[in-house]
Amino acid sequence: MSDVVSAPAVSGGVSRSFLRDARGLQRKLVEEYYGAFASVDQPRRPVAYMLVGGNLTEILRSFGYDVVFPEIVALNCAIKHQSLENILHAESLGYGLDVCGYVKNDLGLQDLGGKTSFGQIPRPDLLVCSFSGCYVYVKWWEALAESYGAPLFMFDVPYMREETPRQEDIAYLVSQLWELVHLLEKRTGRAFDMNELKRVLAESRRAEDGWVEFLRAGRLRPSPIEAYFESIFYMFPINVLRGTPGAADFYDVVNEEVRARVRDGNYPLPEEKFRVLVEGVPPYTNYRTFWDFFRKWGAVSVVATYPKVGGLFDRGFRHDPSRPFESIAEYSLGAYVNQSWPLRRKIIADYVKEYQADAVIIHGIKSCRSFTAGQGDLRDWLIHDQGVPTLYIESDHQDPRYFAPAQIKNRMDAFFESLEQRRAVAAAAGAAPG
Amino acid sequence: MPELLKIGSWAGDLPDGEAPAGIEISPDFREFTEAESVERIVHLAQEVLADPTFPTVRAWRTAGGKAIGCFPVYTPQELVHSFAMMPVAIQGGGENLEISRADAALGSFLCSISKSTLEMALTGLLDPFDGFVFPYICDVSRNLDGIFTRVLPQRPSHMLHLPQNFTSPATIPFLVAEYRSLIEKLERVAGRPFSPEDLRASLEVFNEQRALVDRLVVLKRDAPWKVTLVEYYLLLRLGGLLPREVHIPLLRRAIAELEGRERKNKDAIRVIVLGPFCEQPTLELLQLIEDVGCYVVGDELQMLHRWCPRIEPGTDPLESLATSYVRTPVDIGVRSTPTTKAAAILARVDAAKAQGVLFLTAKFCEPALEDVVLYRRALEGRGLPYLHMEFEEKSTTYEQARLQLETFAESILFE
Repeated sequence: MSDVVSAPAVSGGVSRSFLRDARGLQRKLVEEYYGAFASVDQPRRPVAYMLVGGNLTEILRSFGYDVVFPEIVALNCAIKHQSLENILHAESLGYGLDVCGYVKNDLGLQDLGGKTSFGQIPRPDLLVCSFSGCYVYVKWWEALAESYGAPLFMFDVPYMREETPRQEDIAYLVSQLWELVHLLEKRTGRAFDMNELKRVLAESRRAEDGWVEFLRAGRLRPSPIEAYFESIFYMFPINVLRGTPGAADFYDVVNEEVRARVRDGNYPLPEEKFRVLVEGVPPYTNYRTFWDFFRKWGAVSVVATYPKVGGLFDRGFRHDPSRPFESIAEYSLGAYVNQSWPLRRKIIADYVKEYQADAVIIHGIKSCRSFTAGQGDLRDWLIHDQGVPTLYIESDHQDPRYFAPAQIKNRMDAFFESLEQRRAVAAAAGAAPG
Repeated sequence: MPELLKIGSWAGDLPDGEAPAGIEISPDFREFTEAESVERIVHLAQEVLADPTFPTVRAWRTAGGKAIGCFPVYTPQELVHSFAMMPVAIQGGGENLEISRADAALGSFLCSISKSTLEMALTGLLDPFDGFVFPYICDVSRNLDGIFTRVLPQRPSHMLHLPQNFTSPATIPFLVAEYRSLIEKLERVAGRPFSPEDLRASLEVFNEQRALVDRLVVLKRDAPWKVTLVEYYLLLRLGGLLPREVHIPLLRRAIAELEGRERKNKDAIRVIVLGPFCEQPTLELLQLIEDVGCYVVGDELQMLHRWCPRIEPGTDPLESLATSYVRTPVDIGVRSTPTTKAAAILARVDAAKAQGVLFLTAKFCEPALEDVVLYRRALEGRGLPYLHMEFEEKSTTYEQARLQLETFAESILFE
């Protein structure tokens, strides 16, 4: 390492004074959510399985369904180091090495009975496949349908290739939403209640406002938030609990904490040396280790794409109780991975500018072709067309066998070292006479 | 295994942007129109496939035509044809193409066909094309479109969203709108407006091609000893590489010869081959399947010709085209299943009177890999044997594959 490059900035682990009330409340919400499935105090509500991208949680909630997101169950398993057992079991069932880790983690878990350290995952009464941005969703839900014999509703969401959807796209989506409503009426014996849907949507909108306020705090210098690692904790309410008062209230707590951080000078790191944009899904199995690779160099993520997989709220979208079906249709189009590469490139270029990012870290994962296929080209574009220093690294989000810590650390060290070197050279050139 | 014809080779180590010369085909395609025998056609097909410079497309351009590259599996080729442009099946670079630049752009864990297709784009091999269509058959195909818009900005590329909800009354109007978006780009490339009358005529051309393809598929199912898998495959493969007006009479002549063939029905195992609907196995691997004692009596090869039955143009040919896609219940890995995977595979086994199933899936092909588990479960429930093998475009040794296939065939033969 060169003399001008500084030693590691901080030791491993996140300061307790940084993640306080909001993180504690988020944990509590997670526990309550999974705990409710085990409750025997009241009759069990019907359960629908749904996917995060383009999900229709408000409609299902308005019919009294509990919604389970197998992707989130899988990532909860991974971050608690419980995914490998499920994955190996799925492989014993015939799922190959190259099948998505989410799918294997979930199907393995389901076949083992659905018991996790954070709760018993209930069987589905209905499978709603929001095919939005990921083809594997179709295959995954077909497998669940054959395993459980539960009915499968296919909600086909057109891929976004223009910034504004066509009228035909919205008409197609709205028609499907009504078909879902009719199916739910038939299955529950309840009449659709538009006022109840509007009430749920109003709660969603309140949560969305709070979530966006949090995300935009990354624009401050220094950033009072960690827009990748911290935001990921706070995705749970916006994706899983959206439409409940609890989700909206949660972001009030989060934003109060962020305001206090600014007031008290309590930032993610003692010194924000690099402001980075992170693109891609995190390696949940080695979350803290990966985070430490950033912290060591004083790198704070000020903006990230992955927290937008459930919706691009920070780009202006809100659920709208005055246009319930149309706004749900528009929402379903807005999952980050449902955007074409030209749109993704534009989002990233805007983020780099708006959040004053010094560099981009791309984390490609073996499992997810939707997110990852083309990230190498993105790196090329960022470096050569945009002049943004960019690093591309690979592992997996679910399968710990693909996380090579020494290799990833080595590459990240070299990247940040070169950034420091570049700064030092620029500073020296600026200080030199004439 | 008998040696396949080995015609030419292509090093693929030319400087960036410099396309190799490749073989030359007459602009009137007389090599194909005058080919008198299946043997000669197969020879020509192998020459074409061994050459990644798209010799048939170059010939078409020499004659003044324009060409649109269509990624697997399903593209409404009739639309392209109605603009007097040639729809060309882009099915990877084959075993002769070296990958040097696409790896960096795509990442490690992706199928060969995506890498070789991008490699061809980055090295000038796709220069003979005027545009591209990438149907949403999987996330990789979908994302390739976005990469193409950057690396080949002067050639329009279109990602076609093929619907997955086949019961909604809004699906057909949506697909018509999708086709209209594609048409806008095709109009710009062709320099002429869309004509329903021209589409009507194109539907009839493709109806004729599909009818012949269906006849060949039936022949392969009912009398597999008359046509080898490699012959069958190459005859179908040419259908996506030649002007359809050249392929149709060629296929008609070939089928007539094959139907009249006098060959002995060997004591071979009847198998269906599932999985290679997008990336293509090598000819050597296809030949090996039958060399070890199998007859392939059902398959997912070259589905671009086999998706829909005859399409009646009707009063609105564009709507007819969309309706045919939505209403034809094709059960394949890249379309949500109309029934269940279990029901689908058992129906296919029964229809082909198959004794076993060979899953031949491309490495990293997630749609195929995930279906295999459900298919296997159904086969096990009925006690039907199966074998799962993975392949890549650049397979070089076949000893392991031969061993697996021989064991599979013998286990059925001697049970």
